[in-house]
Amino acid sequence: MNKNMLIGKNITKKYGDNIVLEDVDVVIERGKITTLIGPSGSGKTTLLRVMSLLDHSDSGTISIDGSDYQHPAEGEDAILPWPKISVVFQQLFLWPHLTLRQNILLPLSGDKDLSHMEELLTMFDMNEFIDRYPNQASLGQRQRTALVRALVLEPEYLLLDEITSALDIEQVAVVLKHLQMLRDKGVGILIVTHLLNFAQRASDQIVFLDHGRVLEAGGKEVLTKPKHERIKKFLSIIESAS
Amino acid sequence: MSIIDIIVAYKEGLLSGLLVTLKLCLIIWTLGITIGTLLGYLGSRYKVEVGVPTKILSFVLSGIPALILLFWLHYPLQSMLGIVVDPFWTAALAISIINIFSVADLIRSHLENFPAEYVTAAQVCGISKKDAFLKIELPIILRQTIPSLLNTQVNMLQITLFASLISVEEIFRVAQRINATIYKPIEVYTALAVFFLLICLPLNGLALWLKHKYTRNTSEH
Repeated sequence: MNKNMLIGKNITKKYGDNIVLEDVDVVIERGKITTLIGPSGSGKTTLLRVMSLLDHSDSGTISIDGSDYQHPAEGEDAILPWPKISVVFQQLFLWPHLTLRQNILLPLSGDKDLSHMEELLTMFDMNEFIDRYPNQASLGQRQRTALVRALVLEPEYLLLDEITSALDIEQVAVVLKHLQMLRDKGVGILIVTHLLNFAQRASDQIVFLDHGRVLEAGGKEVLTKPKHERIKKFLSIIESAS
Repeated sequence: MSIIDIIVAYKEGLLSGLLVTLKLCLIIWTLGITIGTLLGYLGSRYKVEVGVPTKILSFVLSGIPALILLFWLHYPLQSMLGIVVDPFWTAALAISIINIFSVADLIRSHLENFPAEYVTAAQVCGISKKDAFLKIELPIILRQTIPSLLNTQVNMLQITLFASLISVEEIFRVAQRINATIYKPIEVYTALAVFFLLICLPLNGLALWLKHKYTRNTSEH
């Protein structure tokens, strides 16, 4: 039953007395796009880091394709699911001493076929700036690089934190199209975003997080016909602001 | 007598002084960079056991002028211990201590401030710890530290002049002797300045070039 899923169950995480995540359940299914939305400080990025085993949780379990995983303690050698799970961070963390192309090539093993990378570079219109250093590229160009760095590894689960924040509409459409293609190939995708329009278009399931709790989870109706008052209020604020 | 005439006339003395200065530098640079790097690394890794004592010692040393340390090691310490150490080795020890703690401070602060997220990004890409260290952490840290390290070593070269005050026959003391004989301060000290410029300027220039090149490439935003 859990063979094709990345599951976070009863996840709780605290920083001192501050509860960042409280008893959160999230399921990322292969072949589906799950979107995590919520106001700033609701715990979206923390949940993404816990789900990708980059941070430990105070309680709860993470299971991937039926196997339980633990965030390793410092100095502990554990088998970790990277790059089977790959993450694109909001801050990108491109290695600054390498060109954008070298950033993409470094994780690839020597005998890897580079045609997939070349396809992605063309698809995301990156050939013009691919030999620049990160500091010589725009934020949008760096975002595309970070995304391609994860995509060339052909992950089975892809966790994306605000990856479209600096992209223009055309590039958002390209990203969306590619994510849908990956979904159709059976990749499980989790997207953290504040772009409701993007969430509506991209998602198969939506999880609304507020103050570290899941207020509502389900299909697109979470955004179109929310039940929870907090979500209605959040959506109306966004609507009036836009 | 022109500068060239002085250099030609006193070439043996100047060469001998130059060799003493370079030998002193070689010892100070080698000890400072190797022990300092090791101490800096251990200080960042074992913060309480090594980092804190190193920081305290470094803080105390920063409050003692190099000349005082040199004189203290040369006169009172040797008098208290009832020993006589060759001034060359006293100078080498004093300036090496300063260099070791300067380098350790530099390395430790760069290691402690290294953005861990670069390593995290490598981990999620499936890069091994060894490769992450060799291909990401080390190159970035080297790029960040080398310019400051070069500047520190140039400072150490300049500090070696103090060794003349405890009778080490390095180039400054040789120049003083020559000047005492011929009394041509403008020519003698200009020649000395040119010598230091010839060594220090390329090192400073290299540090500046590296800083410009790598600071540019290591600032992501």
